[in-house]
Amino acid sequence: MTDDRLLEVRDLQVEFSTRDGVVRALNGVSYGVDAGETLAVLGESGSGKSVTAQAIMGILDMPPGRITGGEILFQGRDLLRLGAEERRRLRGPRMAMIFQDALSSLNPVLSVGFQLGEMFRVHRGASRKEAKERAVELMDRVRIPAARQRVNDYPHEFSGGMRQRIMIAMALALEPDLIIADEPTTALDVTVQAQVMELLADLQREYRMGLILITHDLGVVADTADRIAVMYAGRIVENAPVKELYAAPAHPYTKGLLDSIPRLDQKGGQLYAISGLPPNLLHVPDGCPFHPRCPRVRDRCRTDLPPLYAVSEQAADGAAEATGEQAEAAAADAAHDDVARVPDIGERSSACHYWKETVDDARRA
Amino acid sequence: MGRYVIRRLLQMIPVFIGATFLIFLMVYALGDPVTGLFGDRAPDAATAARLRAEFNLDKPVWLQYLLYMGNIFTGDFGTAFNGRPVTELLAQAIPISFRLMLVAIVFEIVLGIVLGVVTGLRRGRAADTSVLMATLVVIAIPTFVLGTTLQFFLGVELGWVNPAVSPAAPFDELIVPGIILALVSLAYVTRLTRTSIVENARADYVRTAVAKGLPRRRVTTRHLLRNSLIPVVTYLGADIGTLMAGAIVTERIFNIQGVGYQLYEGILRQNSPTVVGFVVVLVLIFLVANLLVDLLYAVLDPRIRYA
Repeated sequence: MTDDRLLEVRDLQVEFSTRDGVVRALNGVSYGVDAGETLAVLGESGSGKSVTAQAIMGILDMPPGRITGGEILFQGRDLLRLGAEERRRLRGPRMAMIFQDALSSLNPVLSVGFQLGEMFRVHRGASRKEAKERAVELMDRVRIPAARQRVNDYPHEFSGGMRQRIMIAMALALEPDLIIADEPTTALDVTVQAQVMELLADLQREYRMGLILITHDLGVVADTADRIAVMYAGRIVENAPVKELYAAPAHPYTKGLLDSIPRLDQKGGQLYAISGLPPNLLHVPDGCPFHPRCPRVRDRCRTDLPPLYAVSEQAADGAAEATGEQAEAAAADAAHDDVARVPDIGERSSACHYWKETVDDARRA
Repeated sequence: MGRYVIRRLLQMIPVFIGATFLIFLMVYALGDPVTGLFGDRAPDAATAARLRAEFNLDKPVWLQYLLYMGNIFTGDFGTAFNGRPVTELLAQAIPISFRLMLVAIVFEIVLGIVLGVVTGLRRGRAADTSVLMATLVVIAIPTFVLGTTLQFFLGVELGWVNPAVSPAAPFDELIVPGIILALVSLAYVTRLTRTSIVENARADYVRTAVAKGLPRRRVTTRHLLRNSLIPVVTYLGADIGTLMAGAIVTERIFNIQGVGYQLYEGILRQNSPTVVGFVVVLVLIFLVANLLVDLLYAVLDPRIRYA
């Protein structure tokens, strides 16, 4: 663990009690963010991206949700051991969250100035007038034109992009160390998406904040993220620096995601889609949860749940020289060797028994 | 806003005319007030004719209505058959009913909203289920049963209050009748607030408020309650009129000489000017209360713009 490590989620497990039974939304999620770093968390709907974020923020609905295990280390302290009041004091000054739909996430009956100023009034004890002044400054910061005239306007009087800027401003208000952005651009026009992402990236650099960017948009990720954590069925399936992951994914699911991006240089062909649907979390398949949809599924995948294997360049290079049966055997052996070594949170890792082949195939292609 | 108010005031005119004309028609055109005045005895023809002429009863209904309305706008609500001017009855009854309504509405607002918020925040727990059961019981039992029971226990058995309210009807004597009057609406306010709270508690902006690190209390009062009260305020506004006019049973039980009591007397004695006079004033109260609710709505919810 580096000194810069801001947040470390370790083996986080969350369950939801529903009428149909217990849904295991998170089955041991681990990831970390350093100060000033952007971690993109990628995955389909229901893969547990938002649940992890809510657990970190401490805004998970409990009940029906329940954190059954794991640790969330934030600046060295385990958040799950803190009292409700201590955690509340962290929200805002230390960590903040940006939500997907700014229209419904802002209170419709309170002016944006009030909602922005509330941060200063509650956490800093500012007066009503001071708070409004700071709200105007914040709105200027996120480049909302005519901030002073608009500070008393209500959320519905702003455009989608402007509303999301207000959400960003609210998260930035107290200059937190960590910001979690839960699909911040999904609800926006494509043209506005780029602007908002750029703003977020600029501000993150300026304040040297850790940023967790939850998204299912791989295009957004490539430009802004330093590392990527790919989630599937409540687990991390791959964790890698962004360049390495794009160059050679080490999990068939990641490969599927990358292949399903429309590309300008391959016009005319049919767009790749991962077959099947994400698993029902009430009945997660045995073995690797991705096996029913996996193009390289083998017998072992149906029975053995793959742990996170450390993905090392050397091992992958070595395997690249072997071919066919040999490669498979080598990969399996190497994988078995690695089982003993739990990869560090900052290290590249993949939850696939056959990650080596996957990487090699990607390299060859 | 100003233009909206003017438009609403103009819209009130046809509503007012329509409502009063219907009441006028029902009271004057159906049944004979003069016969009613004499009760079981048949009036002699000459007296009846003189009375008909005096009260304009010999003219066509529409003309009677016009004459009556003309009088009303000059402040003359006509004379009741017992000789007292209707305005005098109104001046006596309306403040009493108003006080009773105030007591009832304060109960509704304070108790109803508090219970609604508490049950809404503890959905599915014991407190929630028991309050919901209690509201069902209150809604199911007729007012006269609850009213007379409470009157008997508090007034007669325990002797804590006077079972009948004195003609002056000061506030302290109106507390028990006020509770009785408020009970049914109180149950509805509780349920309405509860539903609204439950619905809004899952709203995204409440989650945002929590994520901002606001204390629980502030999240509830500033963010959750503010939004949840919009439908409740609408209900309360409309209820003002109902409480003023609809207190007939309560006012009979506790012998309160308010609007309901006078209306009841008026109907019983076929006292047409009394009935129509009171109804006209009640229509006005309803109209003004509704206008106030609509204006308050815009204050509570900035998304509603009146242009």
